[in-house]
Amino acid sequence: MNRVLLRPRWYKVLADLWGNKVRSLLVIASIAVGLFAVGIITTLDATLRRDMRLGYAAVNPANIQMVIPNFSDRLIEGLRGVKGVAEVEGVRTFNLRARNRDGEWVTITMNAIPNPREMKINRLMVLEGIWPPLKRQLVVDRYKLDELQSNLGEEIEIELPSGTIRNLKLVGVVQDQTIGSSGAGGGYFLAPAQGYISMDTLEWLEEPQRYNLLYVTVTGDSSDVRYIREVADRVRREVEKSGYVILGTSVRASDDHPNSSYTGAMSSVLYVLSILVVFLSGFLIFNTFQALLTQQVQQIGIMKIIGGRSRQVIGIYLALIFVFGVLAFLVALPLANRASLALLEFLANQMNIALLPYRPVLRATLLMLAIALVVPQLAGFVPVLQGVRITIQEATSGIRKENVTIGKGWLERQLMRLRGVPRPLLVSLRNTFRRKGRLMLTLVTLSLGGSIFIATFNVRASVSDYISRVGKYFRADMNITFSQPYRVEKVRQDLEALPEIERVEGWWGARGEILDEQGVVIDTAYILAPPAGTPLVSPILLEGRWIEPGDTNAITISERFSDIFPGIKPGDTLKLRINGEEKTWVVVGRFQLVGSSGGYVAYTSGEYLAKQTGMINRTSSFRAVASQHGMTLAEQKALAIQLDRYLRSRGYDVQEITAGLSLEENTTTGLNILTTFLLIMALLTALVGSIGLMGTMSLNVMERTREIGVLRAVGASDGIVIRLVMVEGLLIGLMSWGLSVLLSFPISTLLADAIFVALFRASWRVVFTPLGLFIWLGVVLLLAAVASLLPARNAARLTIREVLAYE
Amino acid sequence: MAAQLESSHDTVPIIELRGLVKTYKTGAGEFPALRGIDLAVMPGEFVVVVGKSGAGKTTLVNMITGTDRPSAGVVRVAGADVHAMHEDQLALWRGRTLGVIYQNFQLMPTLSLLNNVMLPMDFCGLWRRRESPLRALELLRAVELEDHAFKLPSTISGGQQQRVAIARALANDPPILVADEPTGRLDSVTAETIFQIFLRLVESGKTIVMVTHDENLARRVPRRIRLADGRIVSDSRDQRGGG
Repeated sequence: MNRVLLRPRWYKVLADLWGNKVRSLLVIASIAVGLFAVGIITTLDATLRRDMRLGYAAVNPANIQMVIPNFSDRLIEGLRGVKGVAEVEGVRTFNLRARNRDGEWVTITMNAIPNPREMKINRLMVLEGIWPPLKRQLVVDRYKLDELQSNLGEEIEIELPSGTIRNLKLVGVVQDQTIGSSGAGGGYFLAPAQGYISMDTLEWLEEPQRYNLLYVTVTGDSSDVRYIREVADRVRREVEKSGYVILGTSVRASDDHPNSSYTGAMSSVLYVLSILVVFLSGFLIFNTFQALLTQQVQQIGIMKIIGGRSRQVIGIYLALIFVFGVLAFLVALPLANRASLALLEFLANQMNIALLPYRPVLRATLLMLAIALVVPQLAGFVPVLQGVRITIQEATSGIRKENVTIGKGWLERQLMRLRGVPRPLLVSLRNTFRRKGRLMLTLVTLSLGGSIFIATFNVRASVSDYISRVGKYFRADMNITFSQPYRVEKVRQDLEALPEIERVEGWWGARGEILDEQGVVIDTAYILAPPAGTPLVSPILLEGRWIEPGDTNAITISERFSDIFPGIKPGDTLKLRINGEEKTWVVVGRFQLVGSSGGYVAYTSGEYLAKQTGMINRTSSFRAVASQHGMTLAEQKALAIQLDRYLRSRGYDVQEITAGLSLEENTTTGLNILTTFLLIMALLTALVGSIGLMGTMSLNVMERTREIGVLRAVGASDGIVIRLVMVEGLLIGLMSWGLSVLLSFPISTLLADAIFVALFRASWRVVFTPLGLFIWLGVVLLLAAVASLLPARNAARLTIREVLAYE
Repeated sequence: MAAQLESSHDTVPIIELRGLVKTYKTGAGEFPALRGIDLAVMPGEFVVVVGKSGAGKTTLVNMITGTDRPSAGVVRVAGADVHAMHEDQLALWRGRTLGVIYQNFQLMPTLSLLNNVMLPMDFCGLWRRRESPLRALELLRAVELEDHAFKLPSTISGGQQQRVAIARALANDPPILVADEPTGRLDSVTAETIFQIFLRLVESGKTIVMVTHDENLARRVPRRIRLADGRIVSDSRDQRGGG
């Protein structure tokens, strides 16, 4: 009797689990796939936010950055005593051109660091090579290393403003998480390649041994932006007292990574998806257990005959469901962790996040465990109760009341009337609609999975649509920047003399410190000033109007301004300090650019800004339109090289010529990461949906094994049986696809709104693409066929006697 | 429980049906399966119910086991008003009072023979956990299947499965056994073995109600009830008992 360890009822639980391994695997897979999705979503959300915050704080980022021309250690020493200041450092930063292997000139921002061994602020993480760089050595950030096309140990050709060429040896690669942290720039994705050198290389690069960028960290709560602004104001006064002019100020909390807006958007998507996936897996589990219990009805009847009371029978099945849940959890947990890690590495790499050593997220594990233990019990309880409530007679005879009424519904009557339809198809059609409750459940599960899949494609298309729309801010083929201002008319004449160039415009630009009511600097805006009425910008206006000819102190602002001035609208005024001079501007419009990831961008009249900055008819920034319309990026880049040579030959100090499309490309890189991320989520949903479909269809067929035996007993060949089952599977697949298409409309809108509101605080039109629709159709039909075929083949292989005895 | 019943032996029927009517609603209208059945079975009796297909035999058995509800009338079994009990009361009562044997054995396919026999004991709690495997083995020994105790039902023959079903029916030592066509799927030699077991059980004091199509077998049972169209058309007893 040593072999009798458990009570028989628990043996039954184990026997049910082990006795039909395929069925058990399907059930476990159905639960595990939902847990897996929830696990990944929760882990991603929590880890991305946590690591972004902690990883960024770990580099001790500057809370205050001030652009101050040519200051020395004396100013730094003087600022150490300012109330609220923790650390102060100065660096010299300037743009140069580096030539890559293709011969293209690439802008590189050089950062000369005074004590590279003892950096206190904006610390770098060394990934490869050596740190610190010695004299005439260069270390670069990993993000745009590809643009430079250089390997460690190689020399990079650098052109100085004077035209002198210098070769710097590339000795190291670092990760700088603070790229894009200044609000005035275009953010991380627009930033040029970053190089780091020691101060003693400056002279060789014809730069003075002076700083021009001040980094300050604050004591106390460095996550409180309002407090940081107060400290910044005290620093500003001290700097100005020392006789320096501040060209730009930006403040940032220590835990506010420059790309946090993207994780915000991803979190919104993940949040919506996790709710949908929990629903989906709930339906999946309910459906699975319904099928499982249907197979168990006869055994329930036997147990009731031999004395099993409802709660005992229910207990057996809930215990079985419990074991299924635990096993699914054990399967899903390591898989979710592995997949999360891979996804995190991808996203961290794309978004410049330094991941902390990976550890499972407790919240995700607990959520998975809770879902594994609770959702199957909730989902399984109703089918278990239904199974237990069946009378013994129904259970043991296999004749259910619902079966007696089959054929009486409207749909069945219509199907009976169908003429000219091949008989096997008719049988499949009738079978499909026989168990309407069951069909509904299957359809809901599959449709939900399919609609999420299709919706992610639509959202992806909507983001792409937005990206192409943003391109209309960058309609020029060439963006030319000179190292010094030139007369607009001269540049225009010289360039328009080329047959390749159709039109040239001089653009003005300035940094403007955004001031609050009390005159405290909030951040720095980048002001773009094209000639009024330029055709090279086609804005997405949220309200108000664009800059018109004759405008003076009118300004249009990007949606990002709403972060600091909630509710700002046309007619309101805005105080900006440009080159140390404070001026009030009237907001005439608000436009949408790339949301909170793109910095504070404003447009004003070129003529007006030229007057304000003493640059009438002269500027260093130009836009050119090529005669050939619709140029590709490669064509634009080739033309840029040609223009560079031409302008230099005419004596111009060219700093940079960038292709219009590359600017658009850089601006929208962040959005592209989102679309890639959405694609991954679509694949995840497809996986959930596919396993759900496989499980449901297979269980459906298994449930009908006895019926298949009857069909064979009355002369149906194996081929006919398989065809009947497959047609039914395909019908269900097709119906679910139709419903998925309908359901994808509201889900697409929900997901797209979540992303656009998180990024832009505004909705954008949802683009519906047929791509996801057709891919899902293929997936659903293929899976339906496979999921039906395998069990149908197994059933067809059984002898009639075996099948009729099947339980 | 059996001891209590023995005290009322010969005085009170152990199964009593009065004015029993059962009507089924079907797609074709109402179908009367039982049309006013009055029947009393005394403790220790061996009763066989015969009749053609559709005569109402299985319905009658289902009324006694409480697996179906009468449309009208009274079903009293071992002192309990079966028609008035709710499902859970019925399940426990059935497990302790009745052993039910079916034509298709109705064993749990995923449990060993031993666990099949132990399952009613587990549900009804009449035996201690340590006692139940020993008792199950003893019952399997009684039906000569002790050596197969750890096999699954699918690995033994139909006759052996029916013997396991009998062992299971006896698990909680119920006073009454109800068998619906117990030999219907067995060859004549195996059917005879099962019948002999029934005779021995009656000798030991069990009350057995058996439904069968087999007239030869029925002739050897002391009391024969013939059903036709839902009515008892004959109820004959003889003094000679079985064999």
